[in-house]
Amino acid sequence: MDARTAGPGAGTRRAAALAAGLLCAAALALVALAPTPAGAQVEGAAVYDRWCAGCHGVDGDGQGPAAGRMLPRPRDFTVGLYQIRSTGTGELPTDEDILRVIDEGMPGTAMPGWSEVLTRAERNALVEYLKTFSRFFASSPEPEPLDFPRAPGSSEEKLVRGREVFELIECNRCHGPAGRGDGTSSPTLENDEGHPTVAADLTEGWMFNGGGTVEDIYRRLRTGLDGTPMPSFSDLVDAEVISSEDLWSLAHYVRSLSPGERPPVREVVTARFAEEGPVPTTPDDDAWDEVERYWVPMVGQILLPPRWFNPRVDGLWVQALHDGQELAVLVTWSDPSRSPDPAWDEWATKVMEVMDHPDAGSTAGAGPGDRLTVQFPATATEGMERPFFLQGDARRPAYLWTWRSWQAGPVEAEARGLGAEQPQPADGQDVTTAAVWEAGQWRVLFSRSLTTEGEDDPPFAVGTAIPMAFQAWDGDNGEQGAQGSVSTWYFLSLQQPTPMAAYVAPVVALALAFGLLLLMVRRAQRREEGAQAPASRV
Amino acid sequence: MRFLDTPFRQALAVLVVAYVLIDFGIPYIPPLFGVDSAPVPNTVVLQYLLTVLAGLLLWVSDNDERWTEFKRPIQEVLVRPDKRVGRAVLLVAVPVLVAFVTWGRVKPEVTAPPSFRSIHPAPPRSITFQGETMQLAGLENPLRSEGSLEAHNEVGKRVYYQNCLPCHGDALDGLGHYAHGFNPAPLNFQDVGTIAQLTESFVFWRVAKGGPGLPREGTPWNSAMPAWENLLTADEIWSVILFLYEQTGNDPRTWEEAGAEEGEH
Repeated sequence: MDARTAGPGAGTRRAAALAAGLLCAAALALVALAPTPAGAQVEGAAVYDRWCAGCHGVDGDGQGPAAGRMLPRPRDFTVGLYQIRSTGTGELPTDEDILRVIDEGMPGTAMPGWSEVLTRAERNALVEYLKTFSRFFASSPEPEPLDFPRAPGSSEEKLVRGREVFELIECNRCHGPAGRGDGTSSPTLENDEGHPTVAADLTEGWMFNGGGTVEDIYRRLRTGLDGTPMPSFSDLVDAEVISSEDLWSLAHYVRSLSPGERPPVREVVTARFAEEGPVPTTPDDDAWDEVERYWVPMVGQILLPPRWFNPRVDGLWVQALHDGQELAVLVTWSDPSRSPDPAWDEWATKVMEVMDHPDAGSTAGAGPGDRLTVQFPATATEGMERPFFLQGDARRPAYLWTWRSWQAGPVEAEARGLGAEQPQPADGQDVTTAAVWEAGQWRVLFSRSLTTEGEDDPPFAVGTAIPMAFQAWDGDNGEQGAQGSVSTWYFLSLQQPTPMAAYVAPVVALALAFGLLLLMVRRAQRREEGAQAPASRV
Repeated sequence: MRFLDTPFRQALAVLVVAYVLIDFGIPYIPPLFGVDSAPVPNTVVLQYLLTVLAGLLLWVSDNDERWTEFKRPIQEVLVRPDKRVGRAVLLVAVPVLVAFVTWGRVKPEVTAPPSFRSIHPAPPRSITFQGETMQLAGLENPLRSEGSLEAHNEVGKRVYYQNCLPCHGDALDGLGHYAHGFNPAPLNFQDVGTIAQLTESFVFWRVAKGGPGLPREGTPWNSAMPAWENLLTADEIWSVILFLYEQTGNDPRTWEEAGAEEGEH
């Protein structure tokens, strides 16, 4: 319109001016929108102070108020040392590396994933801000990620080769012969800060702090976990001691030590009815291989003083069988030491030194040994009611089975509160235990008759859900008394021998359904015959 | 769409689509509104499908022509000599299915007793806190009218990170690194159904007395929440409560709101 009123020359000038103006505005808008590092750092600082400083500290030194109750400690960003990277050992992480840990968290530690809580822009800003805590980021060239190909497939041969490499490059020195973190060097491991450091339990892949896929494992073999005793094995590849294929085989082997995914937590543990005869009496019996196992996650006892923020036992595998007379419960868990083991004494002392002790209690170092307690309600419970899951309460006592690595019996006890155990008299002990420690694993078997003569022994009725809870202690980790791992209530259900009626009913239903259908066909055919004779038969 | 040219096939297709929608589709709806999802119970699926089936039967029997048309494929399978194979399959498959379903219903199986959880049990009028009687009704957070809110919040943050974080989590979403060990699961304070619905005195009661102090209808002992009166001072509890609201951006319920609602009942 302007062009028409003011003539062609003026029109083009105006259009040009307009275009130039628009371009300038767009450029300005782009500059304003694009997060300049400085702008991102300001936003990142706000996010950091709000959500991260509680553990990592306002100064980024890993000394937030929660830090003393965590092991491993929150990352100290001022030293520029990062475990989970795609870059070579000794190098800084890429922005993507930092973002990935923020997004996904570090399994097995207190670090959660933030991808659902913070926006992408906030997390990007956080990356920029974290880098300002260490002078190395500003003064170093941009870190180059190593080249990671896709994982080759696995095979029997590769797993065998992987096992060879596992021993060849001495993974077993720390991770132990079966990968449960029980190597001969384990008790002496510490990180760059001098904190006691656990060699990962390779049978719990869902707890790996850098992820549990084959690619994740391979990447860590190449990059190492800087700041921890876990080295990079890239130098062995460069020196042609092993090939990168060997490292892939090793990664596949390590992956094969854990279940396919994080085991599901199921509320009801079924004790199968052993039709074939009496229940096994030893933890080594092959019969256990056929029995379903249930994963029970364990966490530190942080309810009653003295609380415990550094539990060693992070879960139990529970199996149960009964034969109508006897109940057998087998509990299996990883424990790198057969406590009391003098080799681990120093470890416990170091753990006690490094952990905060907010409540009065023992800080003496190693406890007397390893211990496992299985709890049931001492008296029949109704509906949802059950005793307090930490060894009962004044009104509802708990009935305990306790196994100790350092002394035999008494197994059966009653408790009305944590630590207030009253062992049953020696002549009333009806539970037998059998235990094996092998390659970083305890297998402890408890057996008892379904009904006993002891009046304090609750009977185990078939076909009902009986509340059951667990507690575990690793003495060499400084655990004893109230300081150990706990679970809340689960249920034990003794499978009923399948009644004859359960087999008959489906057969009857099948026969009836078949008869009815046949009748229908016959009737339809007869009607058809009537309409247009003669016709075919079934 | 030649496949869908008879009423029988149309009805079958509707039934299959309905099943897929009900069993797999419905669980996707709650997340759209920010609510956690769960699988649809089998009994509900069955009920919905029966409703759909009733509707289909009404439709196919609506006029005689369609009804005859609908019945024809069924009739054919029953009588036609060239459908002998289909007939045999039907005669075997249906009884086997019936037997299978019967087995699923009669085989002995034990499930955990249902654990209903009362998230907001009725609070008592007064509690004894560390030896002193405390009236809960009408009680406000004393720290809101005393000293610096920022300083109280700072204390609350420290208390939270040192004590509450393992279960209730860095994001206050009930997903701390110990949360997976506890059943029932720790409360999610970001959820508008939790602290946003409560007065601060209610929260004080729950923090101070924990699982062991739950009334009977709150399923006694069935919570891992510690009784924090054994570990924290009153001021520490009030500051951590301030922090919970501050950090999540929720506002506590006021006594006016609580009173107004009481009046309505």
